[in-house]
Amino acid sequence: MELLIKNAAVYDPVNGIKGDRTDVSIKDGKIVDKVSSGCTGIDAGGRLVMAGGVDAHSHIAGSKVNVGRLMRPEDSRAGIKPRTKTTRPCTGYTVPNVYAMGYRYANMGYTTVFEAAQAIMKARHTHEELEEIPIIDKGALTLFGSNWPTMDFVRENDMDKLAAYVSWGLLASRGFGIKVVNPGGGEMWGFGKNVTGLDDVVPEFEVTPSQIITSLMKVNEMLGLPHSVHLHCNNLGKPGNYTTTLESMKLAKQVKAGKDRQVMHVTHLTFNAWGGTNWGDFESRADEIAKYLNNNDNVTTDMGQLIFGNATTMTADGPVQYANAKLLHAKWGNGDVELEDSSGVVPITYVKQISIHAIMWAIGLELALLTDDPYKVLLTTDHPNGGPFVNYPEVIALLMSNRKRQEEIATLHKAVHSQTKIPGIDRELDFNDIAIMTRAGTSKVLGLLEHGKGHLGIGADADISIYDIKPDEIDPSAEHSKIKSAFSSAAYTIKGGEIVARDGEITATPAGRTFWVDAKVPQSHTDEMMKDIRAKFKNYYSINLANYMVQDAYVTHQNVIKAGVGTAASEVD
Amino acid sequence: MTVITDALCPFCGCLCDDISVVVEDNKIVDVKNACKIGASKIRGHHRIKSPMIRDDKNSDFKEVSYDEAIDKAAQILAGSKRALLYGWASALCEAHKKGILLAEELGAVIDNTATVCHAPSALAIHEKGVPTATLGQIKNRADVVIFWGCNPVHSHPRHMGRYSVFPRGFFSGKGRRGRKIIVVDVRKTNTAGIADEYVEIQQGSDYLIISALRAILSGHEDVVPESVGGVARKDLLRIAAILKEAKFGTLFFGMGLTQSKSRYKNIDNAISLVTELNSFNKFIMMPMRGHYNVTGFGQVCTWETGFATAVDFSSGAPYYNPGETAANDLLYRKEVDAAMIIAGDAGAHFPANSVRELAKIPVVQVDPYWNPTTEVANVVIPSAISGVELEGTAYRMDGVSLRMRKMIEPEHLADEEILDRLIARVREIRGE
Amino acid sequence: MQEVLLKPGMEIRISVEAENISPDKFSNKTAEEIKSIGIRMGNHKTTVGELFSVKVNGSGTPEDTKIVMEGDFSRIKRIGEGMTAGTILIKGNVDMHVGARMVGGRITVTGNADSWAGREMKGGELVIEGNAGYYLGAGYRGEACGMRGGKITVMGNALDFVGEHMCGGEIIIKGNAGILPGISNNGGKIVIGGNTARPGSEMTKGTIIVNGSVDEMMPVFKPEGAEDVDGVSYMKYTGDVILNGKGVLYVRE
Repeated sequence: MELLIKNAAVYDPVNGIKGDRTDVSIKDGKIVDKVSSGCTGIDAGGRLVMAGGVDAHSHIAGSKVNVGRLMRPEDSRAGIKPRTKTTRPCTGYTVPNVYAMGYRYANMGYTTVFEAAQAIMKARHTHEELEEIPIIDKGALTLFGSNWPTMDFVRENDMDKLAAYVSWGLLASRGFGIKVVNPGGGEMWGFGKNVTGLDDVVPEFEVTPSQIITSLMKVNEMLGLPHSVHLHCNNLGKPGNYTTTLESMKLAKQVKAGKDRQVMHVTHLTFNAWGGTNWGDFESRADEIAKYLNNNDNVTTDMGQLIFGNATTMTADGPVQYANAKLLHAKWGNGDVELEDSSGVVPITYVKQISIHAIMWAIGLELALLTDDPYKVLLTTDHPNGGPFVNYPEVIALLMSNRKRQEEIATLHKAVHSQTKIPGIDRELDFNDIAIMTRAGTSKVLGLLEHGKGHLGIGADADISIYDIKPDEIDPSAEHSKIKSAFSSAAYTIKGGEIVARDGEITATPAGRTFWVDAKVPQSHTDEMMKDIRAKFKNYYSINLANYMVQDAYVTHQNVIKAGVGTAASEVD
Repeated sequence: MTVITDALCPFCGCLCDDISVVVEDNKIVDVKNACKIGASKIRGHHRIKSPMIRDDKNSDFKEVSYDEAIDKAAQILAGSKRALLYGWASALCEAHKKGILLAEELGAVIDNTATVCHAPSALAIHEKGVPTATLGQIKNRADVVIFWGCNPVHSHPRHMGRYSVFPRGFFSGKGRRGRKIIVVDVRKTNTAGIADEYVEIQQGSDYLIISALRAILSGHEDVVPESVGGVARKDLLRIAAILKEAKFGTLFFGMGLTQSKSRYKNIDNAISLVTELNSFNKFIMMPMRGHYNVTGFGQVCTWETGFATAVDFSSGAPYYNPGETAANDLLYRKEVDAAMIIAGDAGAHFPANSVRELAKIPVVQVDPYWNPTTEVANVVIPSAISGVELEGTAYRMDGVSLRMRKMIEPEHLADEEILDRLIARVREIRGE
Repeated sequence: MQEVLLKPGMEIRISVEAENISPDKFSNKTAEEIKSIGIRMGNHKTTVGELFSVKVNGSGTPEDTKIVMEGDFSRIKRIGEGMTAGTILIKGNVDMHVGARMVGGRITVTGNADSWAGREMKGGELVIEGNAGYYLGAGYRGEACGMRGGKITVMGNALDFVGEHMCGGEIIIKGNAGILPGISNNGGKIVIGGNTARPGSEMTKGTIIVNGSVDEMMPVFKPEGAEDVDGVSYMKYTGDVILNGKGVLYVRE
């Protein structure tokens, strides 16, 4: 199978291409240097061409997503689209069904999406849903931050056992990397309590969030995992939490990266770059986070941009969700997982005239615009926490157009002027910046550049989006509505060399692959570690060890990335 | 002789995963660790031997090939305007996916057995949410456990031993002695017999009692009268104090709560009670799901369609509104013009009016067992027993997904394959 | 002025999704045009003309359009859904969701209306001269608000959950109401002429007046003594106290 895209205005930051008019050649699902002369062609006619979008943090599958759907039939009835000859029916806005997930990402030109949190014990469910999401490649990050074995091995300061546990936990969950959510707090929420800072001690386990984060960063680098530790900070959702976020970021200095990437990714800053001491003096301190990022190279972040309208918050941070449900008098989903973590789901509507929401809207944008290097701030809405992913084009337009921002600010609660810096920021990002925040950067942060994602170099996956924009003719600042509509429905989305979407219509629905990491450790470490695990199953888990690990039947199109202690990373399909 | 260990039990929502099965010559000769009902489920009974059809429901069945039965079933379903695909509780999630696809292809309504047990819980979840946890949380932490309108001694025999009453866990080293067990019911059940507190309430007064407890916990005991639903105010105050002082409380509820007066609003109210208790401590709740994989259908249907059950595909897109789109709503209104009953026994569990209606319309049955639904069927397609003869996914009552093991080789087709062939045949008939 | 007369052309057993029967859809259309309007019976796509006889007199805007329906419409759902103006007179029974999401105009049903009549209604008037089913003026599953505005009058009885999640508007029931009327009332007014049970649970705002007897009083109301409303003496209660509700429940003694 060959395909040639002619006259493309390519933005490929990894390969230093910034809008150059060129051709892109595709053969057998990969980018190649040339194809035979008679092959099928698409004339891009000078339109914008990028690698397929890569989303590093989105909640697309698993038990809490399904709890969100179950709790919200009123959301499911939004966005209803009947089946067609090619597609299954779609439902939902903030919590779409599995088919809508795949189709809507593909229509935006996205081809790879990572689910941001799965507990090992519930990973089978995550993979059942991932298997049903059409078209896109995907993977899932595995929660390790409140697991009893993690805390035991941290307390014993046994990094070999911890590494062995992470390696085994990734296999058990077919997970891609280490997710840490409110470390220690997930365990304490088991009794309705929480940690309040990095140095609080988790009762019975006698470890602190700071020790958990640092230890997991160390074993992440020992194992040479493609991605770094992916951290949802403590104190999320509390005014003044930017100090906890900064202190957490500083922990990254204790660990040296084993690869060309960050050692810590701090996620969805819209929810944890908060100043003030209460809801009355609540303010954005995204500027402080940006300042830190501008002076340090070992931490990356993502926006978690707020979108006005309906959202569904869902996170392994159980205590923050109970607080939200109480504050908002909203329905409350809670789903604690034995020995592993907590979770919560709460619907919310973000309103322009509510001061807190207006300030939060500014935080994501400030962070992206005040941080010099776009590789350090990825574009996300923390779907569906800040808002549904279908709003990425809105975020792109806001980042590219100060005019659009000012138009929006004029409609917001006046607190956006006094409590944030966004009204005075006139930076406008360009297509290269956007390509970084949605492709090159997300892929680099995940460690997927060498596995063919996020760029258009020879050998890369032929995941390509063509947008109906001529970069040399458009003024994104003035024509921001064109930017938004073009990014909303790609003229073409190509996945693995196959055209899967055209002008907002799905044209093919191939199955995507699931990335997971097989990280080797010395067998003797695993043997030692398993003694503890067997005891945990004998005494505490409610299922048998033999029924715990996700079987091959749940990852039918897998892409296993090899890693491990002392091994060079290599890929096996 | 082969011994299969860590096998899962295809009986109730406990989905016990520590069963050992001894197999000789493709026959199960011994079952260890399971409760009596579970063991008898695993050993099986009264199988339908061959596919069968009949035009007149008063006449005898004629044994036919799978192809002929599937063709006949497809003819019935493909010609329908308002088909109902019902059952699914004893099928694996892999079959549920195919069932939903078939419903889409047909423009049919798909509903599961929850409609006659815990679907009201879903309606309450839409209102208030779902504060829950996995069963191991209860085993390791719970010091107060309420059983409301359920009788696990009979319905979920190993529940109390494995998860809720007797087990010792990390924070619950004293096991039973460290737990206060409260049973709320309208009659003194066997479960009530082992409780520390038995609260007998008047039939249908659950809603009032839950509200009275909520009023007390929110500091408004002054508005609570001397007696509510047959329970004295002083007893309500005492129970409220126990709930408030729990470190980790759990409310298990059954059909005594979901199917009594006020129905799902009882659960709705209970969710608020549990939510409000979290201001004092940790409190969670869980429905005592009956069939081993009734939870699984809800999960699959929710991620496939956005809705938990009772989904009407007649417009080509899912529409959900129990009270309008559930199996008995449609049968009561005499709207259904063809039905497929699969892995669930409508004949035994539906109200008499609904069964009479099924007797009037063409019915396809897919099931391993001869049961009351067979009596109203025109086409009977025997299937392999999920979780015994087929491996695949099921969901425990707490939403933990587990993979059921195959114990012996099937002699009949799997649900999944029957559905695949039905879908293919329906497409042919409709010229797609 | 346009008048459209619809009569069933056959006995209908499978429910019909008839949101297209509305002055907004019929105005300024000829009989032939109205007959060709799409309508769905189960999974079968059909037309108004296949199911009903259609007569049209005159022509007019939605405000000036009156639809008269004569016969049994007890399997015809969603009549007048979302209508903004005009009138529908149904001489007979109707199925579920009559007047759902109605914004303006007037619907009169001379017979009974099945469940969800006036669901999520925002304005206009719905009169049911017979009985109403469950969820009169209520919301859709999971929504925070049911009826937000307008007025519903039922001359007969209504079943359970009248005005569930009501956020505004007025419901008047001359007869009895089933269990839990006004549950989660957030600002609507409900007047029940006859008896009911468990009114006002979880109400935070709004008013419920019961002129008959209350079978089971919710233990969530603070008695506020006697009070006259329009010259009639009632026992006044406020609640739901659990939610610090400001709802008012009047019960005639």
